[in-house]
Amino acid sequence: MADSQAHGDHHGNLFPIYMSIAGALAVCTAASFIVNQMVGGHVLTAMVGFLLILSVAIIKAFLVGYIFMHLKWDWNLLYFIIIPAFVLGLMMVIILLPDTVIGPSRDAAEAIAISNEFTKELTEKP
Amino acid sequence: MTQAAAHDPSHSPMGMPLPNGKLAMWLFLVTEIMFFTALIGTYLILRSSVPHDHPVIKWPTPHDVHLSEPAGAINTFVLILSSLTVVLAHYAATKGNFKNATMYILVTTLLGFVFMGIKAWEYKEKISHDILPGKVGELVPGMGLNREKQFHQVGMQYVERVRGQLTHYEEKLTKMVETDTGKALANVTHADIENKKITKGTKAAYLLLTKLKPEGVINKDAQQVVTSYDSPLSPAEIGGAVNDLMHDNPDIHLSPAIPFGNMWASCYFAMTGFHALHVLGGIVIFGVISLIGLMGKLGPQHTNMLEVTGLYWHFVDIVWIFLFPLLYLV
Repeated sequence: MADSQAHGDHHGNLFPIYMSIAGALAVCTAASFIVNQMVGGHVLTAMVGFLLILSVAIIKAFLVGYIFMHLKWDWNLLYFIIIPAFVLGLMMVIILLPDTVIGPSRDAAEAIAISNEFTKELTEKP
Repeated sequence: MTQAAAHDPSHSPMGMPLPNGKLAMWLFLVTEIMFFTALIGTYLILRSSVPHDHPVIKWPTPHDVHLSEPAGAINTFVLILSSLTVVLAHYAATKGNFKNATMYILVTTLLGFVFMGIKAWEYKEKISHDILPGKVGELVPGMGLNREKQFHQVGMQYVERVRGQLTHYEEKLTKMVETDTGKALANVTHADIENKKITKGTKAAYLLLTKLKPEGVINKDAQQVVTSYDSPLSPAEIGGAVNDLMHDNPDIHLSPAIPFGNMWASCYFAMTGFHALHVLGGIVIFGVISLIGLMGKLGPQHTNMLEVTGLYWHFVDIVWIFLFPLLYLV
């Protein structure tokens, strides 16, 4: 459409921006791989490694969305669609917090309860 | 309404200055965000409910399940590069350079194939090691009686499956034991097996051959479902023996025993499988566009389409950006 051709022209020379963002993404990927190796080699704790790797992933996703998906220019036209999806995502995380937080201890208690039942059965049988 | 300006935009005072196709693609993408959020959220729940500090009852490490982190990292680079080429294709189209656009789309399609190729290799690794949902043993030595009782049914299924698989390797394992101990299998004693010179793999082979193989050991009900077994080995010990055997002899392929292995396999195949299907869809579309371009028919009327398929492809890339660390790294 003539519309989008004009659309593209308005933003000047995007080629160097695209290339530098791609370079940044590659660096981020290499960084998260290195952090993973460091966690494996016990230079970093698992929690620190997890937070670093997740932060890098969020930065990468942001860069792809902002520049490659043209949200830098189209955000005002699209935010009303995109924001609700993230609100729903956040709601899902909050709703599931009880399961993520108490999971291991709940399962351990459940396992002990089950084993107690088994033991009761075995000892009560004549 | 979002009327695309089919005519000059300045003559349409109504609607958004956004092509229909772009808005529609974004609407589709946010539904896909919810779809993958559900899958990834489920994985996070399941994974976080597994103890962290138990020496044996823990989520499988990439090494346990034959997962190659470098393969995942290469796939990440491949997708990032393909995102770059697809956005450059659209950029070339906006500048009127449709030859370059065709070239970039061809490269994108090719990179998509590379991604699928590496994924196919990874899946082959899993399948050849029998790391599939429902096929992995859940019990290994050191898990405790509580857990063994919890996983009783699964343990029975696993024992039966390993018994069936062992028939293929009977000759090989017998030879292994006889070579290592220097005696015929029937004459091997407990003392020979406990000898320090005997490898773990040979010991495991002996245990499996003598304690698991005999027909009368397994009890089945009327429906041929295994109910119990009279072997002196528990499913956990059998799992441990199988792991030892395969560790020393990589050419023997039995179902491994990996705690939470079935859960891991379900999550892995669900997430990467759906992602791979999305990549496949993208490849098909890019293939069609490549053909249009190779026939010389790519023109200004396709600029929107290039942007919109680029949006889809970037979304696929973003999903992988999250899948890679969650499955391979942490």
